[in-house]
Amino acid sequence: MNSIYRLLLCVVVILLFATKAQAQEWHYEISCAGVGVQGTYMVEVTSYGKTVDAALEQMKKDAIHGVLFKGISGKCTQKPLAGKAEAETEHKAFFDKFFSASGDYAKYVVDEQNVNFMVTKVNKKEYKVTKVVSVKKDMLRRDLEKAGVIKALGF
Amino acid sequence: MNFNFPDMKRFGLSIILLCFVLSLSAQEKKPTIMVVPSDVWCNQHGYMTTFDNQGTTQKVPDYKTALQNDADLLLVIGAINTLMADRGFPLKNLESVLKSIEQRMAEDNMTVSKTSGAELAETPLDRLRRTAKADIIMQITWTVNTTGPKKSITYILQGIDSYTDKQIAGAQGTGDPSFTAETPVLLQEAVVTHMDNFCFQLQSYFDDLIAKGREVAVDVRVFDTGEMDLETEFNGVELTEIIDEWMNANTVNHIFNKSDASENYIQYEQVRIPLYKTNGASMDAEGFVRNLRTYLRQEYQIQSKVMTRGLGRAILVIGEK
Repeated sequence: MNSIYRLLLCVVVILLFATKAQAQEWHYEISCAGVGVQGTYMVEVTSYGKTVDAALEQMKKDAIHGVLFKGISGKCTQKPLAGKAEAETEHKAFFDKFFSASGDYAKYVVDEQNVNFMVTKVNKKEYKVTKVVSVKKDMLRRDLEKAGVIKALGF
Repeated sequence: MNFNFPDMKRFGLSIILLCFVLSLSAQEKKPTIMVVPSDVWCNQHGYMTTFDNQGTTQKVPDYKTALQNDADLLLVIGAINTLMADRGFPLKNLESVLKSIEQRMAEDNMTVSKTSGAELAETPLDRLRRTAKADIIMQITWTVNTTGPKKSITYILQGIDSYTDKQIAGAQGTGDPSFTAETPVLLQEAVVTHMDNFCFQLQSYFDDLIAKGREVAVDVRVFDTGEMDLETEFNGVELTEIIDEWMNANTVNHIFNKSDASENYIQYEQVRIPLYKTNGASMDAEGFVRNLRTYLRQEYQIQSKVMTRGLGRAILVIGEK
């Protein structure tokens, strides 16, 4: 019996780790904040984090993720840059690295330090921030086309 | 190290085959796209010209005058061309195309043979076809809305397949009203705002071509020789049926629509042809109809003539060359 309990414990531990290692769940809101300069989208993003700094960092990832896979709602509605929803799972390895702490995502976001943003303490362990940032969408599209992750216009 | 010669040979052949396939994919015929102002815009701004079409006065847009007089039009066309070039899809420039047509006409008029002094052969049909055209037309319309001191722009961009006359992409909307911004600034903003969604739809159209084949139109006509028409029977089967059967066998997923027919003509629309020929080269309507012509000549000794209307429409005239 003991060995069965041990086996079950091992399975539970493995499952717990497996769940932890699953892809990050995205929880944010993104909408159009106006027409940016050519080659950029100006978006308002609401993100969540354990601290304000963590939420602000998460906001950069969310802005890129939103532009790529969710699209932008509001007055200047834009379709997702990646084209199809499956692109994220099709190129999972690429995007895991892209959105990691050492990933390239940050270079596509213009996050002005002197721009006001709104902070709300959701609960003891979570902050919500809302801020307007610019996403360099033309540069992002070109780089992802070069990497073969999204398709260039044409056949 | 032990080299196995047959394996090396196979490896070498695979590399050559791969290079061949890659070089073929690089030769893809991209449709040509050109931005033109819509008829509505030209009419509203007075850039129309009239001509006598066998007794009926017809109004057609005068692009040349529009381009020479309207700086906003140049701005919009320039902005769209730049954005499309940035996406690796340079467009035909309307102004340059018009200039090159004029230049070519002037040169053709002056060209004579050295020995006999003969002029270049040109049918009335050739003259008619020498107009600015592209496979996909991006048609733009905009209006400046004024409410008191506020101005806004309503912008409409339509992508139209020249041969099927279908709208394959579009983007439209009215921008935010502004007290201070000038019209060119609002126009530039409208172009930038709508271009990505337009390109997204254009790409969906290209994806559809890849999946279901290129959509073309095929016309079959008969020369008035009195010897043959489309009801003439060959081994008990009418020529119309023979052509239908060939279309069924050679279209992608057997997709084609016989929209109209008589003993003298057949009109096929929504004909889905393969993107590539069997030798790997790109297929267009002319290539497709040439295959039909070869089939009719080889199997039934029928002479015919192929005429083209760009990449997307071809006409097979049966009877003689």
